[in-house]
Amino acid sequence: MKKAVATTIRLASLFGLVCLTAIGANAQTSSVRMTRAANAFLETLDAGQRQSVTFAIDDEQQRKRWSNLPVRSVPRAGLSLGALNTTQRAAAMALVSAALSAKGLQKVNEIMEGDEVLKTGAASRGNPAMFGKDFYYISILGTPSESSPWILQFGGHHLALNITVAGDKGTLTPSLTAAQPGLYTFNGKQVRPLAGESDKAAALFNSLDAQQRSQAILGSRVADLVLGPGEDGRTIQPEGLKASAMTERQRAQLLDVITEWAGIIHDDAAAARMAEVRAGLAETWFAWSGPASATPGTNIASYYRIQGPNLVIEYAPQGNDPTMHIHAMYRDPTNDYGRKYTAK
Amino acid sequence: MKLAVATVAILVALAAPASAHALDEYLQAVLIGVEKDHVSVSMRLVPGVAVLPDVLRGMDRNRDGKVSASERQDYPRLLLSDLHLSLNGEPLPLQLISADIPHPEQLQDGLGQMRIELRADFPSGTGQRRLVLRNRHQSQIAAYLVNSLAVDDPDIRLLAQQRNPDQSFYQLDYMQAAGAAGALKADWSGFGRMFRLGMHHIAEGSDHLLFLLTLLLPAPLLARQSRWNGIAGISGSLLRIVGVVTAFTLGHSATLALAGLGMLHVPGNPVEVLIAVSILFSAAHALYPIVPGREAGIAGFFGLIHGLAFANLLDQLSLGRWERVTGLLGFNLGIEVVQLVVIAAILPSLLLLSRTRAYGWLRIGGALFAAIAALGWIAERLLALETPVDRVVGAVAAQAPFLAGSLFLISMIWWGLARGAYPSPTNGIRKAEDSLDR
Repeated sequence: MKKAVATTIRLASLFGLVCLTAIGANAQTSSVRMTRAANAFLETLDAGQRQSVTFAIDDEQQRKRWSNLPVRSVPRAGLSLGALNTTQRAAAMALVSAALSAKGLQKVNEIMEGDEVLKTGAASRGNPAMFGKDFYYISILGTPSESSPWILQFGGHHLALNITVAGDKGTLTPSLTAAQPGLYTFNGKQVRPLAGESDKAAALFNSLDAQQRSQAILGSRVADLVLGPGEDGRTIQPEGLKASAMTERQRAQLLDVITEWAGIIHDDAAAARMAEVRAGLAETWFAWSGPASATPGTNIASYYRIQGPNLVIEYAPQGNDPTMHIHAMYRDPTNDYGRKYTAK
Repeated sequence: MKLAVATVAILVALAAPASAHALDEYLQAVLIGVEKDHVSVSMRLVPGVAVLPDVLRGMDRNRDGKVSASERQDYPRLLLSDLHLSLNGEPLPLQLISADIPHPEQLQDGLGQMRIELRADFPSGTGQRRLVLRNRHQSQIAAYLVNSLAVDDPDIRLLAQQRNPDQSFYQLDYMQAAGAAGALKADWSGFGRMFRLGMHHIAEGSDHLLFLLTLLLPAPLLARQSRWNGIAGISGSLLRIVGVVTAFTLGHSATLALAGLGMLHVPGNPVEVLIAVSILFSAAHALYPIVPGREAGIAGFFGLIHGLAFANLLDQLSLGRWERVTGLLGFNLGIEVVQLVVIAAILPSLLLLSRTRAYGWLRIGGALFAAIAALGWIAERLLALETPVDRVVGAVAAQAPFLAGSLFLISMIWWGLARGAYPSPTNGIRKAEDSLDR
C-alpha cells in the first residue's frame, strides 16, 4: 500500500514537472519565436541590406526616426517592404507577425491597407508615390537574441511600432497607430482600423453619469496629440476623471479600451503589461473632449486621453472630417524604447 | 507678392492630400514646465498645408514675397509679441532661449514643424501662484494647445488647470512650498497647511472678498421707492450684515464640502465667470435696490457658486479620504477667519458712515469699482481678453489695511462732525426697527 502511494506521488510530481516545463517553455516561446523570425529574415538579406536594416541598440537617432507623417516628409531608415523581394518580404512580415498578437497584426494590416486606399486616391490626383504598403519600413536595433534586449521597428505613414524584446519581457512603447481613411471598404466589407479604440471609448464615456462626465470632459478643443512624435520622455499633468471614481464595470471598460493598444504586442508581453496597468488603475485618468457619440459604424470625432502612472494613451481625430483621420499615441513614460530593460 | 503667394498655394495644394496635418489650421502647441524660480515654455508650431501661405506671409515682414534667413530668425520675436504670460497678475517677460525654424521649402514639404523654447524667470517665494498664458498669434487660423508638464520638484504642487474653449487662454494654479513639504499627510499637520491654504486663497481671491464687501454696502440702508434712501437702526444693520455673512458662509461651505468630497464637480472656467457675474449683481444691487431685504438670500445663493471655486482648488490635490475631511475643515476655517477679519475691519466704518451723508459716496464709488472689475473679469474669463483688472484690484488689495484704517478714521471724523453739526440723519426719516421691513 505504502509503495503504491509513493509511486503515485512520484508519478504525479513527474507529471507536474513535465507540465511546468512545458508551460515554462511556452512562456519563452514568444521571444524565442521573434528572435528566430528576426534571424530568418536577416538571413534572406545580402550583406549590404543587412547593414542598412540593423542599428546599434542605443542609436538614439534611429530610435526616434518615426512619425505619423509620410516617408517623403520624414524619411525612415531600414529597408522598405517595396525594396524587398517576395521571400524577403514574407520573412519581414513573419517577423512582424511574431512580434504582434493576432489582433495586433490585423490592426497593422488594416492600417497599411488604408494607406493603399489613400494611394489610389492620391494617384488619381497625379501625386508622386508616397503612400501604400511598399513604403513601410522595417529595422532592427541591437542583435536579435533570446536573452539580451533588442528592438524591432516597423512603420511608415500613420504607423510606428517600436517593440523592445528582452528575454521574456517586452514592450511596445512608444508606438503610434493612426488611420486615414478611418473607414474604407475592402473586399466588400467596411473596415475601420481603429474601430475598437473608437467604439469602446465611446461606450465608456456614455456609461458615465452626469457627475463623472463633468469631471471627464476637458472644456477645450484638443486639436492634436499632446505627446506625439518628438515628445519622448515627457509627462503631462493628468486631467479628467479618475478611475477610482468609476464603477467596477466602468473600470473594466477602461481596461478594455487600454487593451486595444496594450494588446497589439504578442500575448505574453500583453498579459504582463495589462497586469501592470491594472495595478496602477486607481491612479489612471480618463479625459474626453468633443461630442459624446458617433453614428454606429463610424468613428467618434472626439479626442480622449487615458493617463496612468506608467501609461499615456491619446486618441486624436484630425482635420476637416475628424472621423476619417485619426492619430493615436501609446506611451509609457517610464519605459520609452524598453528603457527599463536596456537601462539606457 | 500675390503671384508668389499664389504659386506657393498652388504648389502646396498639388503636393498634398497631406494626411500630415490638419490642412487649414496652424497648430501651436505649448508645454509649460514650472520650476521654483522660472517657467519654461516649449512651443511646437505646425502650419497646416492650406494655411502655410498665411503663416509665411506673417513671417515676411518686408513684404517682398520671400522669407529671408533674417526674417526666419526674427519670427520667434514676432510670436513672442503675441504671447502674454503673467504670474499672480504681474506680467512675466518671456525670453527666447532657442528656435528651430526650418526653411520655407521644408515647411512646404510637410516637415513643417517649428520649435521654440522660451523661459520666464520670477523671484522664488512660497505660496499659491497663478500662471496665465494668453496666445493670440495668427488667431484666425490657429489651433492652440496648452498643457503643463508634470512636475518633479516635490515642493511644487500643481492644483488646477483651466482653459477657455479654444485654449487661447490658459490658467494654472499651483502651490509653491518652502521646502521638504512632501505630500499632505493624514494628520493634523495637513490641517494646519490646509488652514493656511484657505487663508491664502481668500486673501488672494480678491473677487470673493469684493463680492462680499459690495453686498455689504447697502446692508445698513433701507430701500424705498426703488432707491436707497433710508437707514436701518444699528441692530437692524448688524442683523442684516451678520445674516449676509452667515448665508455666504453656509453657501460656500456647502458646495465646498460637496465638491471637496467628490460629490459635485463643475468645470472651472464657467464657475469663474459666474463669480464675476455675482460681483456685477452685487454692484448693481448696491446702486439700486434690486432685491432689498433679501441680501442674505443672494449671499447664500452666490455663496454656493463661490464654494465651487474654492473646491476646484482642492480638486486636484489627490487627498485621501481622511485627508479630505480634515483638509476641508482646515481650508474652510482658513477662509472664515480671513472673512471675519475683513468684516470686522470694515463693519465699524460701514455703520458709522452710513449715518452720514457721505455714505452715498462710498456706496456708489464702491459699487462702480466693483462693477468695472466684474465686467473686466467677465471679459477676461469668458472672452479671453486682456484687462488690467487683476493688477488694479491687486494693487488696491495690497493697500487694504491702510485703506481700511483710513476709512475708519474718516468715518469716525465724519460721523462725529455730522452728529455735532447736523441733525441726526435718522431724524425726519422713519427709523426701521427691524431689517425685515421689506
